[in-house]
Amino acid sequence: MSKTTQAPKALRGVGNFIDDRFHLAKTGEKNLRKVFPNHWSFMLGEIALYSFIILLLTGVFLTLWFKPSMMEIVYDGSYERLQGVMMSEAYASTLHITFDVRGGLLIRQIHHWAALIFVAALVVHALRVFFTGAFRKPREINWLIGVAIFALAMVEGLFGYSLPDDLPSGMGVRILQGVMLALPLVGPYVSMFLFGGEFPGEDIISRLYMLHILLIPALLLGLIVAHFMILWHQKHTQYPGTGRTDKTVVGTPMFPAFAVKAGGFFFFTFAVIAGLSAFVQINPIHLFGPFTPTSITSGLQPDWYMGFMEGSLRIFPNWFDLTIFGYALPTAVLVPGLVVPGLIFGGLAAWPFIEQWITGDKRAHNVADRPRNAPVRTGVGAAGVTFYGVLWLAGSNDIISETFSIELYVSTYIFRVLAIVGPILAFFIAKRVCLGLQRRDREMLEHGYESGTIQQLPSGEFIEVHKPNSDGMVDILESKPTITSTALADDADTDDKGVENPEARKGSGKLRRALARWYTKDNVSFDDVEAHSGHHLHHSSHEEEKEAAH
Amino acid sequence: MKWITARRRHPLAGYVVVILALALFGVGYAALAPTAEQAQAQTLAADAPSQENVDDVDIANGEDIFNQTCATCHNYDGSGTYDENGEILRGPDIRGVGAAAVNFQVSTGRMPSMDPDAQMPRKPMAMTEEELADLIAYYNAQIRTGGPDIPYDVPGEAPERSSFEDEASYEAALEEYENEYDSYLEGADDTQMGMQLYLTNCAHCHGWSGGGGALTDGRWAPEIHDATPRQIYEAMVSGPGAMPIFSDGAIEPEEKQELISYIKTLQAEPDAGGIFDLQRVGQVAEGLIAWVVGLALIIACAIWITAKQRAHD
Amino acid sequence: MTENNTNDNNEAGEPERVVGTPKADEPVVSDATAAPEAGEHAGPYAASETHARPEETQRRGEKIASVWFVLAFLGGLGFLVSYFLFPPDAIGAPQIAQYSNMLLGGSLTLSMFGIGAGMTAWARQVMPHYEVHSPYDELPSSEKEKGSFSDFFMRGADESGFTKRPLMRRTLILAMVPLGLAPIVLLRDTGPLPGGQLKHTTWEPGRRMVVEGTDRAIRAEDFENDPNAMISALPATEHGHHLSLNEQAKTVILLIKIPEGDWQERMKEEVEGTDGATRLNWTHNGIVAYSKICTHVGCPAALYESTTHRILCPCHQSTFDAANAAEVVFGPAHRALPQLPISVDDEGYLIATGDFTAPPGPTFWDYAKD
Repeated sequence: MSKTTQAPKALRGVGNFIDDRFHLAKTGEKNLRKVFPNHWSFMLGEIALYSFIILLLTGVFLTLWFKPSMMEIVYDGSYERLQGVMMSEAYASTLHITFDVRGGLLIRQIHHWAALIFVAALVVHALRVFFTGAFRKPREINWLIGVAIFALAMVEGLFGYSLPDDLPSGMGVRILQGVMLALPLVGPYVSMFLFGGEFPGEDIISRLYMLHILLIPALLLGLIVAHFMILWHQKHTQYPGTGRTDKTVVGTPMFPAFAVKAGGFFFFTFAVIAGLSAFVQINPIHLFGPFTPTSITSGLQPDWYMGFMEGSLRIFPNWFDLTIFGYALPTAVLVPGLVVPGLIFGGLAAWPFIEQWITGDKRAHNVADRPRNAPVRTGVGAAGVTFYGVLWLAGSNDIISETFSIELYVSTYIFRVLAIVGPILAFFIAKRVCLGLQRRDREMLEHGYESGTIQQLPSGEFIEVHKPNSDGMVDILESKPTITSTALADDADTDDKGVENPEARKGSGKLRRALARWYTKDNVSFDDVEAHSGHHLHHSSHEEEKEAAH
Repeated sequence: MKWITARRRHPLAGYVVVILALALFGVGYAALAPTAEQAQAQTLAADAPSQENVDDVDIANGEDIFNQTCATCHNYDGSGTYDENGEILRGPDIRGVGAAAVNFQVSTGRMPSMDPDAQMPRKPMAMTEEELADLIAYYNAQIRTGGPDIPYDVPGEAPERSSFEDEASYEAALEEYENEYDSYLEGADDTQMGMQLYLTNCAHCHGWSGGGGALTDGRWAPEIHDATPRQIYEAMVSGPGAMPIFSDGAIEPEEKQELISYIKTLQAEPDAGGIFDLQRVGQVAEGLIAWVVGLALIIACAIWITAKQRAHD
Repeated sequence: MTENNTNDNNEAGEPERVVGTPKADEPVVSDATAAPEAGEHAGPYAASETHARPEETQRRGEKIASVWFVLAFLGGLGFLVSYFLFPPDAIGAPQIAQYSNMLLGGSLTLSMFGIGAGMTAWARQVMPHYEVHSPYDELPSSEKEKGSFSDFFMRGADESGFTKRPLMRRTLILAMVPLGLAPIVLLRDTGPLPGGQLKHTTWEPGRRMVVEGTDRAIRAEDFENDPNAMISALPATEHGHHLSLNEQAKTVILLIKIPEGDWQERMKEEVEGTDGATRLNWTHNGIVAYSKICTHVGCPAALYESTTHRILCPCHQSTFDAANAAEVVFGPAHRALPQLPISVDDEGYLIATGDFTAPPGPTFWDYAKD
């Protein structure tokens, strides 16, 4: 029997030094024992965290040379093609990082790729949380923090994209200013104050720089730390399975296994981003040329995470523009610029509370839903993803129409229709798919799984042999929760003394009941199903063997 | 095959297939996407000699070519074919468009066209350089009433091997052409002017790198990677298709040289950021790569880290 | 044996339980083949939760991990070498910059990937596979704890006087109000008030126009003879004076030559606020000047199709009809592009005869008011 090795003296020294001051032995051990469920989809948030760390590191490097100044200078750096060209100091210093600082171009590209992947990881992480219902009590607050991180990350990205003052980046700022200017009453004031005068002025880069490297990263960092601390305190959700309940989490402990896995994953994330940055050119600002408010290029796009804003600006028509007593209300700017992102982020933030209001479910949930087992939520999520996706695609409608030879205006009309019809279709399709999967689950639970083996019976009939599921699979299948709502309970209309509840008769009560019906109907019931009770199992191979033995 | 059959029900099999498909996609893309050097080589290869050796042109042959290939649509006198309302039937009046327009349309393969209603993409030229020279001589002599001349001092097509007897004379001609090409581009020295002219008058259709872009009604502004300096010049002075005219009055020849030099130098520049330039499409392609390559690879790593191992399946 | 893993604030809940010992109703996952025999287990977690790898696997894992780490080491060395391979004055050439970028990035990738892969091999082949059970925290505190807290808090609040002495409480809140406004007031000097600035530009009667980039003044005869000409132009400045970006953003125009007979109805309308001048009066020999800045959100609407006379903004595809007073014919823009009245001077140069018909640039709420 091997003995546990004694901790080395140096380590004990450090440990004692810290413990003498903080009394950490018990807390330390408890935290090192923290359990992480072992599934790749729980690492999506880590991608975002690691990209953020990479962004902080590379961002610091870039600030060593970047000059956030709009002073017009004549370029005389070592990039020959643009020598003698008038440009802002911001653009010139970005050229300096690219062509005079060794590794500067690499770090710049890492910074940009990491930004794209940061936001992409936020999105897939949020989708995982949404579709598995991991936002439910007790995790609503962490969900809200996540939505705030997503929104801030977009703004952070937009401002960072604007700093080099190259042609597309300046156009991004111009569009931002155009949207601001359209605000009723305050628009011109907001724009004049932010830009220190008319567009483009001489202040915007240094102001965006402050926001980009100081204020927003500090907010992001604070929110990410809070997100992480809450997660640490509440622990991860877990997928259903053997031994996994709302009371007990099963997985890999922080020390030693998960620490090594997570550490390795940081290096993987960095490796992929570094690999892209080494070989795939991104945002070649030296080729675009410096910004002037009079130049423009075809195929102008923002970075992908602003694509849905660009798309909604493109497809929202001016049919609803108003003029009230000679004052303009350009809804074709205001709706896509404010209402659409408000709908998307507001909807994300509100959904946990909407769902809770509909179902009246006040329990704490630690076991994640399989998306199929919450068909309406999955449908709503699919509709949201489709809406976002259509707008995002519409943001590149000129490139799409050129690539696929669709008329430009026709593509706009197609996207207008899709933005409305797409989410509706997606809702019904996703919900139907969920119900189909539920039915298959029920079938599987009752009859076992299809083994792929075809047998011919003595009667000449062909059957596919079903085999019993593993115990783990039975546990997963049996974990399907029944979707109910307190609004539909028999006594929902009366309080506990049998008196009619006045709330239930109000409009909101009726709405709640209607929504509850919509949310709960169409579910495949597993209530009366016994595992492996179906008749098909009698044909399974070992039964056959027994019969043969007789 | 047995090896595959045995493993296709492995829990990781699906992911492996996805990764393989992505890798295939990536490699396929890398193989197909032209690099800047290739693009430059294509530009040079697409060119051919059309120098101003006016002495040995054959106007009679030019007339034959015109009557056979052009007159059906543009009429024998170049006056075009119109219906009673003055709408173009098959082809417009080309008497006033000038030799620059003829040279542009024919040398970029857009004319002769099979379908006069559709926008014509760039194609290999339908006739030889000699035939084109004959055609232009005939056009100048018999049909033309005005319009811009061919800018012979702007480098056009590079010489082609097939028009030379031996390797040595071809190489000499090629070297001469390349010197001429380089000295034309290097003769421009005001990047500021070239850049501003290009970015304020051209880039909104053709894109910052000359990649082209969408127009209305299903038309498009063509990419101009393969266009020779002479063709760009001719397009500016003749305004093919929906393109407006940028005459020598508005932009003088030396100023056009700055503009052409700006875009051609930019197109020929190697991509400092890496061998994959995503065809310089920009943010849409970058977003796509960030998702389908970057994020997908990282998630593949996450799957590797957390995958169940067979012993514990 | 293991320490317990329950949370500190769980004391009121169920009795402390040793991690890994199953609850009565809870099956334990265990792998009989991998679990070591009883009494031999030395790991930090229960034997039933620790699936050790066979020694052979561990040995192979160690080798694999080490190979990856050595590769990572070489990659890291390569990164350092790549850095010094090119002197700083060489990377100004794009081709060298590309080599430098790929060498630096490639070696960095190898190094990072090597460490990641080595650690993964370590975790997956050398370390045991753990399936540790751990309780979630009981979330709400017990009624007793809650009651105790609330009682304590309210006693303190009462004793402090905050609840009982409204004058003090209200004056404290009053004292905070102006301070809350201070940060907003402090932002006032970030920029000037708009005033009329957005509505007027430096175009004035007699101002010549120059081609952007060449700064050469345009004569009507350079332009009017082409059937379908277009050029982006700016106001001419005093010799040597550089037009600021702010001025460029407002004054830039598209000069377009429209063939006779292509003009549409709206051009014959009288322009508001003039003495009977029509939009056509504001052109010269078929040359018309419109603001180049889109009235939607301000991109340069520059994409002019000579066949359809459409001006298209490449950003959001607002389309204006150049032959019809730049009316919006498609897309999200709110209003037409403002027209600049033009004429020629004695020397034949194109000049403006006034400012735009309306404020150029993105539409704002009171653009139409003086």
